[in-house]
Amino acid sequence: MMDLTQRQWVKHVVFHPFEGFEDLRWKKGGSLKYTAVIIVALFFALIAYDRWCGFQFRPLPDAMFSVMPYIMKSVVYFFAWVLGNWAICTLLDGEGTMKNICIYSSYALIPYIVSTFINVFLTHILVRDEQVFFSTVYYVGLIWTGILLFSAIKSVHQYTFTKTVAAIILTLFAMLVILFLCVLFLSLFQKVYVFFYSLYTEILYRTRV
Amino acid sequence: MKNKSKHSLTIMRGAAAGLVCLIALSSFKSPVTADEPYDVYNYNYLGEAVPSQAGYLAERSVSGLDLGTTALNAPSDLFKDSQDFFYLVDSGNNRILKIDSEFTEIVQEYTSFKMPDGSETSLKNPKGVYVSPDTGLMYIADNENARALIVNPDGTVKQEITKPESTVYDQQLTFLPQKILCDNAGNIYIVLNNTTKGAAMFNAAGEFIGYYGANSVAPTAEVIANHFWNAIASEDEKRYRSRSTPTAFDNFDIDTVKGFIYTSTSAGSTDTDIVKKVNPEGYNLFDYMSNFRWGDLFSTWYSGTTYKTKIVDIDIGDDGSINCLDATTGRVFQYDKEADLLFIMGATGDQVGSFAQGNVAAIETKGEGCENIYVLDAGKGTVTIFGQTVFGQIVHYATKLYNGGYYEEALEPWLEVLKRDGNYRRAYLGISSAYYNMGRYKDSMEYAKKADASGRYNKAFERYRSQWLRAHLTQILIITAVLIAGIKGLKFFLRKKRKKAAETAKAGSDS
Repeated sequence: MMDLTQRQWVKHVVFHPFEGFEDLRWKKGGSLKYTAVIIVALFFALIAYDRWCGFQFRPLPDAMFSVMPYIMKSVVYFFAWVLGNWAICTLLDGEGTMKNICIYSSYALIPYIVSTFINVFLTHILVRDEQVFFSTVYYVGLIWTGILLFSAIKSVHQYTFTKTVAAIILTLFAMLVILFLCVLFLSLFQKVYVFFYSLYTEILYRTRV
Repeated sequence: MKNKSKHSLTIMRGAAAGLVCLIALSSFKSPVTADEPYDVYNYNYLGEAVPSQAGYLAERSVSGLDLGTTALNAPSDLFKDSQDFFYLVDSGNNRILKIDSEFTEIVQEYTSFKMPDGSETSLKNPKGVYVSPDTGLMYIADNENARALIVNPDGTVKQEITKPESTVYDQQLTFLPQKILCDNAGNIYIVLNNTTKGAAMFNAAGEFIGYYGANSVAPTAEVIANHFWNAIASEDEKRYRSRSTPTAFDNFDIDTVKGFIYTSTSAGSTDTDIVKKVNPEGYNLFDYMSNFRWGDLFSTWYSGTTYKTKIVDIDIGDDGSINCLDATTGRVFQYDKEADLLFIMGATGDQVGSFAQGNVAAIETKGEGCENIYVLDAGKGTVTIFGQTVFGQIVHYATKLYNGGYYEEALEPWLEVLKRDGNYRRAYLGISSAYYNMGRYKDSMEYAKKADASGRYNKAFERYRSQWLRAHLTQILIITAVLIAGIKGLKFFLRKKRKKAAETAKAGSDS
C-alpha cells in the first residue's frame, strides 16, 4: 500500500493536507531534489509576480528592479525558517531531522507558488475592476500553503496541535534572531575587511617611500 | 566640448524642427537661438531630475539705464495690465514706472499724485502695484506711508486706504501694505507682513471687511502634542505656552478670468500651503494636494546650510499657467493650470538668465500662450526677459488643447514634442489619451506603458480586450469546443487501451 513515486508523493501531500505528511513520514518519502526545484520555482514566482504581471497590475516601476530582494524572500527566508525550526524543535523534543524539515516545508509552499503563477497569467486578461478573481486565487493559495505548512511541522515532529502553534511562533522569533545575527556578522566582517585593507595600503605606502 | 556638441545638437534639432514646424504647425514663430547658462532639467514620474529641452531662453536683461532713466534701486514688484503695459515699482527711488509692452521705453513715471483735496502726495518705499482690468484704476501698496492708494488713470488719487479702525483689526498692529490687488467685484486685498490671518480685505468703498485666505497649520506631531497640552492646561499656564500659528503668505496674484486668487508663501519652516488657489469664499482649492511639492523636489545641503525652494512671487499667465519664482535657486517653475510641471528655467549666477541667490523679487508673464516671462532682479535692478523656444510653444499649444479636452487635436503637437524630447512624460500621456479617444486602444496601451501610467493602461486595455473578444468570439468558441472534444476523446482512448492491457495481463496470469 502507498507505494508512490517521488512525483506522486508531491501530489499526494498537496492534495491531502491533513494526513498527507503523516503518510509521507510513515513511508519515508520525499526528496531533496524536489525541494531545490520548489525553491527555485518560488524565486521565479516572486519575480514573475513583480515583473511579468499585466501592466495594469504592475506594482513596481521597471527602473527600480533589483534581484537581491527576491533571493532574500525565497532562498534566505526559507533556510532561516528551516534552521530556526530545527533549532527550536530539537529543544522541544521534535522528531524531525533537518533534511525532513527542509523537504516537508518546501512541499507545503507549492500551492502558493502555483497560485502566484496563475495570478501572473490572470493579470494579463483581467482589468482592475475584476481584481476579486485575482485576490481569490491569491488567498486560496496562501491559506492552503498555511494549512500545509502547519500540518508539515505537526507531522515532521509528531507534535500536538498546541505544541505546533507554539513551535511556529518560536520559529518566527528564531528566524528574526538568525537574520539579525547575519546582518551583524556581515557588517562586522566588512569592518574587518576594511581594517585589513587599510593596513595593506599603509604598508604599501611605507615600503614605497 | 559638451557644450559645443550640445549647441550643435540644438541647432540641428532646431533646423529639423523648424522644417517640420513650417509644414505641420505653421502658426508657430521662429525659434529663439541662444544657449542657456545652465543645464535644463525636468522631473520624471519617479521624482528624479532628468535632462530636458529648454522651454524658455533668456533673451536680454533690461536695467533702468536701458529704459532711459536712472538706475533702479531695490525694485520690489512688477505688474502687467490688461493692455500689456508694465508697472515697475522702484521702491528705493519712491516711484512707479509705466513701461511699454516691448519693455524698451518708459511711458510714464509716477512719483507724486494729486490728492482729492488738491494737495500733492508722494510715495515712500512703495512695495506693490496692481491695475484693474475693468476700471483701469491703479492700486499702490505705499508701505512706509502706511496706506494704500487707489489712483485714477490720470494720476489723481481717488481714494486712500489707511489703518482700519474696526475692532476686528488689532489696533496695536501697524498697517504696512506689502502687496495689493483687487478682484472683479472691486474688493481690495492687501498683504500685510505682521499678521498670519491672511490678507486684509476691503470692499469697494474702502471699508475693512475682514481677513481672507489664511494658511492652515500643518498637523505635525509637535502641533498635535501642543494641542493636547493646551487642552489640559489652565488659563494661567496657557498664556505662557506657545501657540501653533500658520505661516503667512507673502505674495499673491489673481486669475482675472476665473476670479481665483493664488497665494505663495516663502517661509521655509513649512511645506504646506506653499501655493494656494483660493476661491472667493476663502477656500483653498489646492487643499487636496497637500503632499505636492512646489518648486524643487529636493533641498540641497551644502556646508551647514540647507537650500530649499522659497517661492517669493507667483504669476498666473493668460493661459492659466502658474509661474512660481524661487528666490533660493533663481529658478522659475512653470506649471499648467492643473499644477503639472511644464518647464524649469533660470539658475544662480551672473550671466543673463541667472540671478544672485535671494535677489529675485517678482515675476510677470505676457502673451496668450505665455510667450514671455519677466523676472525682476531686485539686487541688480534689472528685468530679465525670457522668450519661448519652439519646443516651449509646442508644449504650451498641446497643453492648452489637452487641458481643454481636445485630446485628438493635441495628438499632432504631442508627437512633435516627443521628437524633441523623449523624456517628456506628459507627451506620452497626451498621445495615449488621444489614441484612446480615437479608438486605437492598442496604441493607447503602448504609450500608457511608456509613460508608466498603469491606470490609463488599464482603461485602454479594458476596451482593447472587449474589442478583441468581439472580433474573435467565433474562433474562441470553435477552439474551445475542439479542445474539449479532443481531451475527452484522448481520455476515452487511453482508458480503453489501459483496460485492454489489464485484460491481456489478467488473461496471461490466469493461463
